[in-house]
Amino acid sequence: MSIELTRNFSIIAHIDHGKTTLSDRLLGFTNTITTREAQDQHLDAMDLERERGITIKAHPVCMFYKAKDGKTYKLNLLDTPGHVDFSYEVSRSLAGCEGALLLVDASQGVEAQTVANLNLALGQNLHVIPVINKIDLPAADVDKVKRQLEEILQLPADEAVSASAKMGIGIEDILEAIVRLIPPPTDPGDGVLRASVFDSVFDNYRGVVSYVRIFSGSIQRGMKIQMMSTGQNYEVKDVGVFKPKMVACDKLESGDVGYVIANVKSTADVKIGDTITETRNPAKEPLPGFKEIHPMVFSGIYPVTTDDFESLKAAMGKLQINDSAFTYMAESSVALGFGFRCGFLGLLHMEIVVERLRREFNMDIISTYPSVVYEVKKTDGTELVVDNPSFLPPAGEIEEIREPIVKIFIMIPNENIGDIMNIVMDKRGMLDHTETIDDRRVMLHCVLPLNEILVDFNDKLKSVTRGYGSMDYEHAGYRADELVKMDMLIAGDPVDAFSCIVHRTKAESRGRQLCEKLKEVIPQQLFVVAIQAAIGGKIIARESISALRKNVTAKCYGGDITRKRKLLEKQKEGKKKMKAIGKVNIPQEAFIEVLKTNN
Amino acid sequence: MHHLYVHIPFCHRVCPYCAFYKHTPGNTQMAAFVDAVVAETRRYRDKMEINLHTVFLGGGTPTALSETHLERLLTELRETLGFEHVTEFTLEANPMTVTAKKAAMMRAQGVTRVSLGVQAWDEPTLKTLGRDHSPAEAAETFAILREAGFPSLNIDLMFSVPGQTMEQWAGSLERALELKPDHISAYNLNYEEDTDFFDKLQRGLFQEAPERDADFFFHALDTLERAGFRHYEISNYARPGHESAHNAAYWFGKDYLGLGPSAVSTQGLTRWKNIADTQRYLDAVQAGLLPQQEAEQLTPDQHQLERIALELRTAQGVPLTRLETVPPQTMATLQSEGFIEISDAHVRLTRQGKTLADSIAGELVG
Ligand SMILES: Nc1nc2c(ncn2[C@@H]2O[C@H](COP(=O)(O)OP(=O)(O)OP(=O)(O)O)[C@@H](O)[C@H]2O)c(=O)[nH]1
Ligand SMILES: C[S@@+](CC[C@H](N)C(=O)[O-])C[C@H]1O[C@@H](n2cnc3c(N)ncnc32)[C@H](O)[C@@H]1O
Ligand code: SF4
Ligand SMILES: [Mg+2]
Repeated sequence: MSIELTRNFSIIAHIDHGKTTLSDRLLGFTNTITTREAQDQHLDAMDLERERGITIKAHPVCMFYKAKDGKTYKLNLLDTPGHVDFSYEVSRSLAGCEGALLLVDASQGVEAQTVANLNLALGQNLHVIPVINKIDLPAADVDKVKRQLEEILQLPADEAVSASAKMGIGIEDILEAIVRLIPPPTDPGDGVLRASVFDSVFDNYRGVVSYVRIFSGSIQRGMKIQMMSTGQNYEVKDVGVFKPKMVACDKLESGDVGYVIANVKSTADVKIGDTITETRNPAKEPLPGFKEIHPMVFSGIYPVTTDDFESLKAAMGKLQINDSAFTYMAESSVALGFGFRCGFLGLLHMEIVVERLRREFNMDIISTYPSVVYEVKKTDGTELVVDNPSFLPPAGEIEEIREPIVKIFIMIPNENIGDIMNIVMDKRGMLDHTETIDDRRVMLHCVLPLNEILVDFNDKLKSVTRGYGSMDYEHAGYRADELVKMDMLIAGDPVDAFSCIVHRTKAESRGRQLCEKLKEVIPQQLFVVAIQAAIGGKIIARESISALRKNVTAKCYGGDITRKRKLLEKQKEGKKKMKAIGKVNIPQEAFIEVLKTNN
Repeated sequence: MHHLYVHIPFCHRVCPYCAFYKHTPGNTQMAAFVDAVVAETRRYRDKMEINLHTVFLGGGTPTALSETHLERLLTELRETLGFEHVTEFTLEANPMTVTAKKAAMMRAQGVTRVSLGVQAWDEPTLKTLGRDHSPAEAAETFAILREAGFPSLNIDLMFSVPGQTMEQWAGSLERALELKPDHISAYNLNYEEDTDFFDKLQRGLFQEAPERDADFFFHALDTLERAGFRHYEISNYARPGHESAHNAAYWFGKDYLGLGPSAVSTQGLTRWKNIADTQRYLDAVQAGLLPQQEAEQLTPDQHQLERIALELRTAQGVPLTRLETVPPQTMATLQSEGFIEISDAHVRLTRQGKTLADSIAGELVG
């Protein structure tokens, strides 16, 4: 098939504006999936994606469309996730495309991530076709969205296609626009194989599957190929396309999107962003790689039973190949035993990795309260990077602690400015400037510590604006602040797992909160147990758990002491899972309760 | 087999806190019930060697049986199993279910000990407990039993009942002591699953109150010890020589045979439980079967754990030989914090430890 008849495109949008629904429609319209197969959110293949109604991984799919000009085109669609945490997936998909559909919900209008994703697409020189989706909704206001396209995004509104992915309206118009407006791939014409790996997954039966976009040359079964970053050579076992299931084909040609399976042994051997070339006739230069992504949020992940450490490690290795943004390193904690310090792009990313470990790998795990990466300057002048508060040097040896900050764009209705500013202030943020979007909305440009937006910033934004606010952010370096290490002491002994880094002004309330939480989750003991929060030896908050007063069953009935024994056996089992901190027994659940993300 | 328990599952009225297997007689044929227990008894006699030292008829309410039926049951039991070596023969009784004539019959049949369920001596607490007798009626029944000449009489009391004040509890203890019983069981109210009380606890209408439990417990301990009773098990006090030998058999791990619906038996490491449904129990016996519903085989570890848990509750304590695997640190802490004391090679609960027996047992078995 001629490269002239190939179109590679992505669909980008703010979260929930209908990307996946539209993708499914396109698949249906082009008979790529039969009506029998067509189920809602067909492309969201993972259970997790279906359940949450969000796309986590980019899903490529190849379809054929007979256009009104009589020619049949090969369309490669790369569906992408909408959530901020996964914007790197968006950039990678975009790197394999010449154009993008920018979806805007007709009732919601342009939102923060519409802007952010458009900028990503324009940054890669893609042709962007605006699509106004959900025109079936009573609240749809197509004219207003067109004005926003022109005014906020500087896009030609007359190119915009009005559609309803849900009702199947405008689907053909969209396909025609793709064929007409998005340019075909270009090829240097030297016949040398250059394929960019934009994703890879681990398949239990087939091993490592690399997702590729061919920029020149072709690739086929039996070919000897080289991964340019490592120089390693492999033999191609299979190539194919996504329909959207993997379907083998003879070869992939310039302009194509598909998969390559080679005899790659270890998951660590495939690097996302690498270039595949032919061993016999290699390219001189690799294709431009992707911007390296660094995890921004860290948390400890521990097996509930220590025996599971090795299987957890294996599971993480497999996950990592599908998710190069996820990092892990072995660590140990007095309280939780042996586990891993893991890095994520953001909180949603973290939640998803944890869920996948639980579900897909059946791992029984605990994940600890998330932390950002701090830079620490010691009094002796040495510098230190700390991703786990328990490794912070003693307070006396710290000269300064710097924390990552972000530039955040918050798009909100005018009437919420006051409330949002209060939240920003409370989160130690500053307003940089305000930008008027239209007569109803503004964009606030603020600078905040990353740490402060980790846990509940987005939730608060959504609830204050009743869902009308949206945000996006980018990293903006490090800044020193009055950050201190807070230790939690139980019966006088510091418990490393509970240590945290907090801003001095927030230490007391966080300390009190942790003390209360610990009091709630540590069961009464035979003795009084003191719980304290301390900064450098100074107690800033305290609670105490009173001793058990009475705990005796009246009697053992009619010789039936089986029930009583079972209780004792349960107690005994439970105790095996407890950590003894001094003479205090702390159940595993208490650690989980306190350390887990959502409290 | 030296110890026999017989369960009589009938009560004239069902108390809202009670989780024992029992029901109102309804249309149960009492004669058929007695026949069934007798048939079951014969089957075990043919199966195992039985040489009884103690017998205990509990419930439910054994005295809910009419004099005729009760007399036939006692006669048949004695004739089937032989009571020559029985030194203690206890019957549980409710107030208002024993006439002088019935008491005399029981005594004549060899009953040596009667345990009367009084629970409280004040009207409000009796009302909360849903009891159908007044304090005066309980006293009257006690007098009948005394008159009948039983060598040993027990009174059951309950404390930390919702709404019960310390004065009321102290009053119940005083009144019980005035009657000069030989034995008093003082049970801390337990909220048992599948009872009205448990429901109310779940719905927040009743609250557990460990502070009050402890205060009431200590009040009983002090009062009864001052009155010359020996606290020989968590819930039990006796004048010297009146400790219950049958209960001691349970606590010290002896074999016992249980007859009647829901009764539990233990022989060596084997334990079984009878069907806890009177009709199905009758059907099974009438079909010529042993009316067992579940059996379990204890592991030596489980057996050991039970021994520790039960012995710890007694004045005799747990022999150190059973506690060799307990970490020395645990023993030392329990001792230094004043929960246990160790003398003549036994571990015993201290006064303070007695209110925490379950937690301490947990430390010693884990
Ligand atoms: N009324 C209406 N609802 C739509 C339309 N298109 C999508 N939706 C609904 O909008 C919601 C979000 O759709 P998705 O396709 O999952 O959105 P998405 O952009 O892929 O979301 P992420 O992958 O999480 O970024 C779903 O409940 C869809 O049923 C439409 O044209 N009209
Ligand atoms: C097996 S019952 C039978 C006694 C007899 N039917 C009566 O009620 O008088 C023995 C004793 O257990 C005690 N008891 C019953 N339910 C109890 C509970 N939930 N908590 C504590 N003691 C209880 C009562 O004191 C009762 O007298
Ligand atoms: S306490 Fe006694 S009378 Fe009340 S229901 Fe239980 S066994 Fe029957
Ligand atoms: Mg989606």
